[in-house]
Amino acid sequence: MAILNFTLSEEGVTALRDALICLSKFSDDVSLEARKDSFTLTTLNITKSAYASFKFGPGQFFSRYSFQGTGPYREKFYCTLFIRSLISIFRSRTSVDTQRDVERHTVIEKCDVAIEDGEGISSRFIARIVFRNGLTSTHRLPFEVAVPVHAKFNKTDSPHHWVIASRTLRQLMDHFGPGIDLLDINTDGDHVNFTCFSEKTVSEDAVLKKPLQTSIAVEADEFDDIDVEDKLHIVISVKDFRAIIQHAGITGNVISARYSLPARPIQFSYGGEAISCEFLVMTVGERGSNTSHKTKKGRKNQPPSNAPRLEAASRRTSVAPSEAPGQDAQQMPPPPPASRRPPNLTPQMSAPRASASRLGAFDLRPTQQAPPPATHNSESLFVDDESWEPMRDEDEEEDNARLEWDHSAETNPAELRIKSMMDQTAQPAPDANAEDAANANLESQALEPTQNMSEVQNLALFPD
Amino acid sequence: MRFRTELKNIRTFAKLTAALSSLEKIAWVRVSDDTVRFTVIPDMGSQVWASLAMDFLFEGYNIQSAEANNTINLELPLQPLQRALKSAQNSMSASLRLTKKDGLPILSMVITTMTGEKGTAAGASSSVAAAAATRNRNADDPFADDEDMNLGPEHLETSLRREHEKVITQDIPVRVLHPETVETIMQPKVREPDVHIQLPPLLQLKAISDRFTKLALVPPGNKSPKLELSANMHGSLRLRINTETTDISSVWSGLENPELDPAQLDMPVDEHPSTKFREMGPEKWASVRVDGKDWSRVLSVGRLEGRVIACFADDHALILYVYVPHYDDASAEDSVVTYYVQSYSA
Repeated sequence: MAILNFTLSEEGVTALRDALICLSKFSDDVSLEARKDSFTLTTLNITKSAYASFKFGPGQFFSRYSFQGTGPYREKFYCTLFIRSLISIFRSRTSVDTQRDVERHTVIEKCDVAIEDGEGISSRFIARIVFRNGLTSTHRLPFEVAVPVHAKFNKTDSPHHWVIASRTLRQLMDHFGPGIDLLDINTDGDHVNFTCFSEKTVSEDAVLKKPLQTSIAVEADEFDDIDVEDKLHIVISVKDFRAIIQHAGITGNVISARYSLPARPIQFSYGGEAISCEFLVMTVGERGSNTSHKTKKGRKNQPPSNAPRLEAASRRTSVAPSEAPGQDAQQMPPPPPASRRPPNLTPQMSAPRASASRLGAFDLRPTQQAPPPATHNSESLFVDDESWEPMRDEDEEEDNARLEWDHSAETNPAELRIKSMMDQTAQPAPDANAEDAANANLESQALEPTQNMSEVQNLALFPD
Repeated sequence: MRFRTELKNIRTFAKLTAALSSLEKIAWVRVSDDTVRFTVIPDMGSQVWASLAMDFLFEGYNIQSAEANNTINLELPLQPLQRALKSAQNSMSASLRLTKKDGLPILSMVITTMTGEKGTAAGASSSVAAAAATRNRNADDPFADDEDMNLGPEHLETSLRREHEKVITQDIPVRVLHPETVETIMQPKVREPDVHIQLPPLLQLKAISDRFTKLALVPPGNKSPKLELSANMHGSLRLRINTETTDISSVWSGLENPELDPAQLDMPVDEHPSTKFREMGPEKWASVRVDGKDWSRVLSVGRLEGRVIACFADDHALILYVYVPHYDDASAEDSVVTYYVQSYSA
């Protein structure tokens, strides 16, 4: 019998999908936790340096929500699912090919989810997607029952905080180039600097391959609220920050950051009407000598924080995972022993300040993975003039480059390419789309005009 | 060694950088008192020599170098430059400075900008104007009060949605080149061309060239198809792809063959090869073969929206002269970007 039953509205499907896409940038698996009055998705990345949590209230996104705890799940139900298979289920298929064929206009109208588990019943996450055109598709995903790991954050031990419009941060990210992996957020008088850099060492003759190093100074006045120690450097992974900002930009609300000292976690949080999002990311960095000096917003009179200021020597780890009471401790990740482990990065770095205090137990993850497509869907500042790009070297990607008919009867090629790239990466699991794909293949063998008239008309080959 | 300057004409600078970076990752840049030159010499493919007046891209510049003519030679990665220039577009001001960071030379671009929001563009621009007005007031009156002091009612009203000024610093890694290392790099010398002709709109030429190249890629194995480009002195340009299975050509006619300036020639116009080609009639073509993919990269210079004159030395060379218009100063002489297109004999 179903332990959890709920129906997501169209809006709910979108919100869930956005959250999953964000979570997928941290980890492959997501922990789902359902209670009577809340529905939470969390994940901890593999190096345990970043934790993400999305909490959905029962209103707004859910048109129906019923939790019936039985047996071991009286209080709450939890399980772990593979994120990518979830994303591919909830992906709305308003994508590329539907614009060629309006008949296949398949927007998700709602989604019924039932979770079954118990004695003699196979553990399944069952999602029934109802499309606007009347089709329904049902997906049954297996899941693993695993106690979710939650990272804890102690607000009172984290006196430094600021609040700013997520849109502003998103605009800043547009100025960062590729190839960077660390972001240093530091304060300097009336400004907060966002500096990105890379610690990859380069050989003498490859200095020109170093990435562009960008620093953006934002006036303290631009923050809705700010109270941070002066000259405090907090360094986090750009990839994590991008993932957070991108999602925060979707909700369009202010984002608040709260932190204490380098080598202790920073908390980013923001919320909407029925969703609250929290991220804990491990930091490194450096502290200035004059710790009593503070960067504050000029006009607003902020009451001084009365939290005790922690000395660097007394640092406790506050990302210590908390378990639900009564769960045994074996699933806990080892608490990060801040001072016991030797620094695991040689202090041979371009930015001396980062190496100085890199004693944190959390590694920032290695960055073999390419950064996420920086600004897809974003209101980017820049419009690329695609048509001037040289021809892509197709045969480098695909050895037997073949001439094929151009399906891209599409007015916005840039968006398309990203979309299709996302589809490729986000869809390893078989789903209803396989049929569409097969159809598409069939069609690509049929003859079609190579170009739309509208595409060539402005080439002056066809004078009016 | 010092070099610092304010940037102007940033959009054109960005387009030029984009065009160059489609051919090669790193450019050799030479700044001197009166000209800045960007040179791109890929291992394989077409070379570019872009010589621009300093005040085309820079203003209020200051160069100090021990070399002759106050010359500074730099090796500059184009993609980071392009990225930085993107940040500088729509900025209030942008400057460039050669300096050192962590012991390594960099070109530091400092950009002052308002990151305006799209939805309320009007609000953002008005705040830009307001800020600019404040600055001007302060600039005009050395005794002006602080900005905070003239907090009028108007100021309070906009403060909620006020866009703030941001200072963006983009540090581009560079390498300073010793004059000896660059003195051997010479601009190619090519004989007087047989045909010179103004190219049709480059976007059109590029679309057709790319399509031809794709067609020739059909039999797998032929990875670098060659396009045949021909022109005559009677206003025609012909683009042709000839493979085992296809032979397609496009012809443009009614193009202009510009008049030669006798003052710039070593020989009388009558003896110039192009005069002979013209006399031999419209069936006399000068042809070269170019690599389809390289040609596509060359044509990306079209984004500069300049007039392009192609000079054909039959079965020998193809040179493109791209005249980059000065948008803010119509009377100024156009700057020229020269492409030595890699060509193959038939």
